[in-house]
Amino acid sequence: MKKKPPLDGVRIADFTLHAAGPFCTQMLTILGAECIKIETSGRLDIFRKPHPVYGRMEAATFDQVSAGKLSVRLNLKTPRGVELAKQLVGISDVVAESFRPGVMQRLGLDYETLSALNPQIVMVSVSAAGQTGPDSRHAGYAPLFGASGGLGTLTGYEDGPPVEVRHVMDHSTGLAASNAVLAACFARKRTGRGQHVDVAAREVAMSFVGDALLEQAVTGRQQNRQGNDMFNRAPHNVYRCQGDDTWVSISVANDEQWHKLLRATDQQQWRGDARFLTQQLRWQNRRSIDAEVSQWVAQYTREEVTRLLQQAGVPAFPSCTSRDLVADSHLRERGVIQALTGPDGSVRDVVAAPWRFEETPARQSGWTPALGEHNDYVYGELLGLGKSEIARLSEERVIW
Amino acid sequence: MILVDRPLSGITVIEHANEVAAQYCGRLLAVLGATVIKVEPPGGVSMRTEPPLLQDDPPRGVLFEYLNVGKRSITCDLVTRKGEADFRSLLASADVLLDDTPIASRQGELAPEYVRAAFPGLLYVSVLPFGAYGDKSGYLGSELNLQHAGGEGFLMPNGLALELFPDRPPIKVYGHFAEFVGGMSAVTAVLAALYARDDAGGQFVDVSVQDANISIGCFAVQRLGDGVMETRHGRSFKYGGVLECSDGYVQVLVLEQLQWENLVEVMGNPTWALAPELRDPLERSRRGAEINKHMRQWARAQSVRAVVEKAQALGVPMAPYNDSDAVLGSDAVSQRGNFAPIDLDGGVAAKVFIAPYKFPQSPLSLGQGVGPAGADNAAFLGSSAKILTETQEP
Repeated sequence: MKKKPPLDGVRIADFTLHAAGPFCTQMLTILGAECIKIETSGRLDIFRKPHPVYGRMEAATFDQVSAGKLSVRLNLKTPRGVELAKQLVGISDVVAESFRPGVMQRLGLDYETLSALNPQIVMVSVSAAGQTGPDSRHAGYAPLFGASGGLGTLTGYEDGPPVEVRHVMDHSTGLAASNAVLAACFARKRTGRGQHVDVAAREVAMSFVGDALLEQAVTGRQQNRQGNDMFNRAPHNVYRCQGDDTWVSISVANDEQWHKLLRATDQQQWRGDARFLTQQLRWQNRRSIDAEVSQWVAQYTREEVTRLLQQAGVPAFPSCTSRDLVADSHLRERGVIQALTGPDGSVRDVVAAPWRFEETPARQSGWTPALGEHNDYVYGELLGLGKSEIARLSEERVIW
Repeated sequence: MILVDRPLSGITVIEHANEVAAQYCGRLLAVLGATVIKVEPPGGVSMRTEPPLLQDDPPRGVLFEYLNVGKRSITCDLVTRKGEADFRSLLASADVLLDDTPIASRQGELAPEYVRAAFPGLLYVSVLPFGAYGDKSGYLGSELNLQHAGGEGFLMPNGLALELFPDRPPIKVYGHFAEFVGGMSAVTAVLAALYARDDAGGQFVDVSVQDANISIGCFAVQRLGDGVMETRHGRSFKYGGVLECSDGYVQVLVLEQLQWENLVEVMGNPTWALAPELRDPLERSRRGAEINKHMRQWARAQSVRAVVEKAQALGVPMAPYNDSDAVLGSDAVSQRGNFAPIDLDGGVAAKVFIAPYKFPQSPLSLGQGVGPAGADNAAFLGSSAKILTETQEP
């Protein structure tokens, strides 16, 4: 019998836009859910459009958060559109949205209304600052979440400004939201009741600095920007190798790894250097260690350094470009990088499931749906509308 | 309506973990309501006393406390017969085994084949830097390595920091970002496998921290498919970004036309910004350096709080770069109840961040700080169980 993915049979009515919300439903799609992305040509998802601020004139980054989803057009500015949205929620297990708080309410699609229609519905709302609180209506994108949540403030060179945390902030928010949806779905399986979960990107950023916040709250000590340093670790940095803009990361956490590094590099002068004798001394003299290690590393490629140090038991790894990732045999073998052939025969490398389930394998990646590609299946087969009605609703700019 | 129980109440997780990712996964499962039993070697895991410390005597590591709040601790020496038997008895009544033992050391009670055969209903969730399968599965990976293995390390920093220090090495995201992401990815895997357990039974699930980070960094792979290999230098926003104000920093990012027009208003409609050609987003993109010069000069005379309020009132995406004090003291944090006051072991009072999600109908809670290593031996291993402080004879 063919093995099924873990969320086989779960259906999502997906109203999310941009990156964070769509990444959540992308994770659930990869896990086997049937995800219906609800879009309108009246206001395209910003990621279906070009982004001049990135200096790019083509659509930016839509595929990786839309692949394998179904797409329907639906104009929520019409009463009939809202009615159809409710019908979709009525046949779904999960409803996901990432509008600014208050929008779903204004549309008549708030949790109270939807749960009255479908008490088992699990609803996830993804926003910048949460559904409640004084900043709930704040607008935001990834770097703003990192900034207000404290993560961007602590990221940066010791003597420099804070640093923008980019798409990984959006996507980690989506990943957190996937935790929340799955926990609520699991609870529903046992209780028969759905619930509304609230994911604030700012709070996801806060969770990444939860240890620094705890330290501040208990001891009053405030962490600051610290470059690539980690307390008590040296050498612990990114070092330039042979080649253009090529780097290797090396992380020595304790005496044992230091001695392994000494053996592997055969740098006798480090062994007797009074500045490097203990972990504490190495930490105090970490800039001197960086200078020494930089000189040694510069003679080699990042692959040579990585091979030598990993064999010796020292954590080291190349600073990977996207080109490195798609060419990596380990990642191909694991299936997290896959080549995908599109309907037009074109092939592209995609990031697929980041887990391997023995009994419930995640889905292979699908192609990105065209806007409204699945109107007939969703409105016809799932909601039972006739072809002529679908055509009429399209003409009336309801299915639009 | 309040559903009384937390989502995972009644679920038991055995956590056998030394590294950050698996411990963070266990922490999130605990806050979601699972009973998470931390299995430690005699004397406890080394992270318990790793600095920075919350207190010096006895030493209590900040990271350890953050990662382990809400868990129970037992000590179990897996090289002894008694330890093996204790471990088996724990697995017999557990739903999930969370394990980050390096694959070369997964023997005896931790061998996946043994666990699968002896406990067919159990979910054995492996969390390793490079996964349990593949030619690099034996590799060591610390936080710094994993940020670079996932692709994001190569791409940091951008914007102002890169302009100021173009020749410095790439920089990591603060703290244990990559490992926390690995932990959250493991939570998704655990919950998906639990959801499917009625039909599929127990199984082995392989979570890789590198894969999780490639996954959240997926846009770089997408752009490569579009013909662009991203670099630090190529992906900075053309204008906006980090702005230094008179009393700190703000972040501004305008992607929509209306946001730009309102930002111009926030800046007081300066002549340079009203130039008709700058209404064209492509032209703004081309003239980003010039726009930045003006914006940075304007920002230096602004105070963070006032300018963010003004911008947000007009729907302009702008936020302050908050430090820990500002986060802890914010009205939003207090109204949303993001932190819980708890007593850590030894009577240390602490405000601890609860979770990156809120469940209004079944509120999440932290429970108590984790006790000393082995504090819960009697509860889970029988009333005669001793707390192990050193390795026993086999």
